[in-house]
Amino acid sequence: MGTVLHAALVDLTAAVRLAVIAVTFLLAMLPAFALAGPPENDQAGAPRLTELSLEQLGDLEVTSVSKQPEEVWRTAVAVYVITQDDIRRSGATSIPEILRLAPGIEVARIDSDHWAVGVRGFGDQFSKSLLVMIDGRSLYTPLFAGMYWPAHDALIEDIDRVEVIRGPGGTIWGANAVNGVVNIITRSAAETPGMLMSIGSGNIDRGAAALRYGGGNGSSLNYRAYGKGVSRGPQFHSDGSRFDDWWMSQAGFRTDWQDAAGQSLTLQGDVSRGSHGQRVSITSHSPPAMIAADGALDASGVNLLARWQRDFTPTRGFRLQGYFDRTSWSAPNFGETRETFDIDFVHHQTLARRHSLTWGAGARQSPSRFIQTIPTLDFTPHRETGSIYSGFAQDEMLVRRDRLWLTVGSKLEHNNYTGIEMEPTARLLWIPRSGQTAWAAVTRAVRTPSRIERGIVSRSLTRAVAAVPVFLDLVGNPDFSAERMTGYEAGYRTLVAPQLYLDAAAFHNRHEGLSSFGLLSGATLESSPPPVHAVVRVSYVNGVSGSSDGFEISPDWRPRQWWQLKGSYSYVRFDLVTTPGSIDVNAVARYEGASPHHQVRLQTRVDLPRGTEIDGAYRYVSALPALLVAGYHTADARIGWRVSSRVDLSVSGQNLLQPHHAEFAHSPGPAVEISRSVYAALTWRPASGRP
Amino acid sequence: MTRRARLSSIAATILVLLVDVGGLFAQGAPHTEYDIKAAYLYTFGRFVEWPPRGASRDAANFAICVLGVDPFGAALDATLAGATMRGKKVVGKRIVTPKDALDCHVLFISASEERQLDAIVRALDKTDILTVSDIPKFAERGGMIQFITAGQRVRFEINLAVAQDAGLSLSSDLLKVASAVRRDRRPAE
Repeated sequence: MGTVLHAALVDLTAAVRLAVIAVTFLLAMLPAFALAGPPENDQAGAPRLTELSLEQLGDLEVTSVSKQPEEVWRTAVAVYVITQDDIRRSGATSIPEILRLAPGIEVARIDSDHWAVGVRGFGDQFSKSLLVMIDGRSLYTPLFAGMYWPAHDALIEDIDRVEVIRGPGGTIWGANAVNGVVNIITRSAAETPGMLMSIGSGNIDRGAAALRYGGGNGSSLNYRAYGKGVSRGPQFHSDGSRFDDWWMSQAGFRTDWQDAAGQSLTLQGDVSRGSHGQRVSITSHSPPAMIAADGALDASGVNLLARWQRDFTPTRGFRLQGYFDRTSWSAPNFGETRETFDIDFVHHQTLARRHSLTWGAGARQSPSRFIQTIPTLDFTPHRETGSIYSGFAQDEMLVRRDRLWLTVGSKLEHNNYTGIEMEPTARLLWIPRSGQTAWAAVTRAVRTPSRIERGIVSRSLTRAVAAVPVFLDLVGNPDFSAERMTGYEAGYRTLVAPQLYLDAAAFHNRHEGLSSFGLLSGATLESSPPPVHAVVRVSYVNGVSGSSDGFEISPDWRPRQWWQLKGSYSYVRFDLVTTPGSIDVNAVARYEGASPHHQVRLQTRVDLPRGTEIDGAYRYVSALPALLVAGYHTADARIGWRVSSRVDLSVSGQNLLQPHHAEFAHSPGPAVEISRSVYAALTWRPASGRP
Repeated sequence: MTRRARLSSIAATILVLLVDVGGLFAQGAPHTEYDIKAAYLYTFGRFVEWPPRGASRDAANFAICVLGVDPFGAALDATLAGATMRGKKVVGKRIVTPKDALDCHVLFISASEERQLDAIVRALDKTDILTVSDIPKFAERGGMIQFITAGQRVRFEINLAVAQDAGLSLSSDLLKVASAVRRDRRPAE
């Protein structure tokens, strides 16, 4: 199925033509805007909403129900909500590109299909210590403690919102929610009725097509099913290679049932396949050589999730969720299959109006199998089952009525690598007066070891000294323990003026036992297998400690009803040291220099008459000295036109300020540069069959 | 891809555009949740009688206010542009504290104010301002009209006792359309 779709989608010429058609169509329609009357009278004969009766208003079908970010305004967490509207108007077509919209998060595109994502520093290829979930299902991979981005997608139009939490969230979400948590929440099936078709094409996103159908009775039982496929081309390579083109296709469904008594049941699932082009180094022992091999990582996944939620009263209820997830990866240098079974229970109850108590328990079993495909990369043992058992309790206490709340709680978690881990938190929320919120928090979080740190066995060729090849062996460390972090945070949100909001947060994080390399044995000469060679053995150790500090400021201003400006400035600095025993002199520089210390983002959104939208975004990301990546400025722009309630057209451009720029390092080989790109999209919602 | 496949993909695109052209202008612009809520805020005014209050309220304007973080975006001003209510010009206002609400006829309380709701309800006690919100359990917690979004439609629930205590009289037509009418007083202090 994938290949057929791939063939159907891949054609740059067709893509460009499609873009030209879309642009021509948009331009052709421009005079129509110019001649149009005032926006409020744009449909001849259609009454204004204010002329409708109450009954008529109650019968209008809402095209988009968007959970607004207002409700997070009063939380003691540094959280930013990216709404469906924000996503649509950014022109982003993948999950990591969507994350660029949030402050304090650094998204660097390594090549067409890989991203390094960090929150408050610590950006790396595996997006380590960042927990990402879709509808409560963890996407974190225990193979290398992070995210493999190209394997995860959703129908972008069905994403309700993306909550980006900066800072530790271990008390609620458990291990690995250290630097941040990303919650991708899709709309309930009741909110996605009818048919939706969208197609798009451009020079990097060569072709994308999606189809969704939602049905049901509009109240108690609803469902939807969707399918999508995307084909993306390579970015710019100074050496002319084109290894990073890729495609992926995904299909899924969601059913939501609810009754009048506050009970709801959700069943959802997805299947996906993809082939992600990449270049990897492969070392061979004899003859001693290290070659760069181009190939594809073929990924497939299937998942099924059920959630039962029951609210007995507004102040008492529970949620029971279970899911199954299977992923299978086959790359030029390794393969892995993994199954995850997860069950999670949360109960909440308000006691005596002063205490809001939440507690829960969960269990996860994750059997996996590593498939060795080359002699110089292996994991021991091949089969391993990750297991997590956890419980948590937290109480939000009203300290002073309408003014002060204190939340204390902890998670207690047992994992198969490091045993029991505690992740406590204390958070204070103060509302001095309407329009202002101040908060402070102390939280402890842990990142548990991943399979790579415990069980990797790899060999790479470094160089030859006096004709003797020198191999670097990296072997897992069975004693590698968890990375631990204590975060001290404070934040302030204020309505400076009725249309000007400001959100600021600062942090001081203390890190213990960050991973680095330790020397197991110096160069030793070995003659077997031939030829004679030297081996240096290194392993992972918890060799770096210290602190990181920073802050984020994000204003949101609407100077005119048709014009909105959003911005953010994020700063992070590090004060890390190598602990005695670690020989990895570069580790500190790597942590400090692989994340931008300064990031600036500015967005403008203009609504013109007749559903025309003009959006722009500018961003500055400072240099990554450890990766020899220069700082860069670039900009995105988008023109969207809501032709009618059923048709949207848009043309967006990304990275417009230069033909290409590097955002991260690529290994092996020179950095891949991210190209200027243009993308045109058409979304069509045929009339829904529902009355 | 062959030339034929390429042409057919272009043809398909054009077809999609053409097929829908008939429907392009037939239907009204789509309504977002907050377009509809903005229209409700205005329409409620036609079904509510405010007690005479002399000079303490702006005589020329009918003010619809939003307290807290504004979820309407451009929708409120676009909806109210040029609208009148009983000969008065309808204006949309954003306010930061309940103290600023005294000029308002209709007050929408944003979800950002959920934690402060009890204090806001107390601050507005004995004032003749029609309070509206989409905060869950708003009507139960001393608000007058609470929006309920069911499926794809926006409906509302009324707490009649609270409105009557404030001296407002709600028309029976309004009560008839409401999804539910409660008659409990504000929660005891």
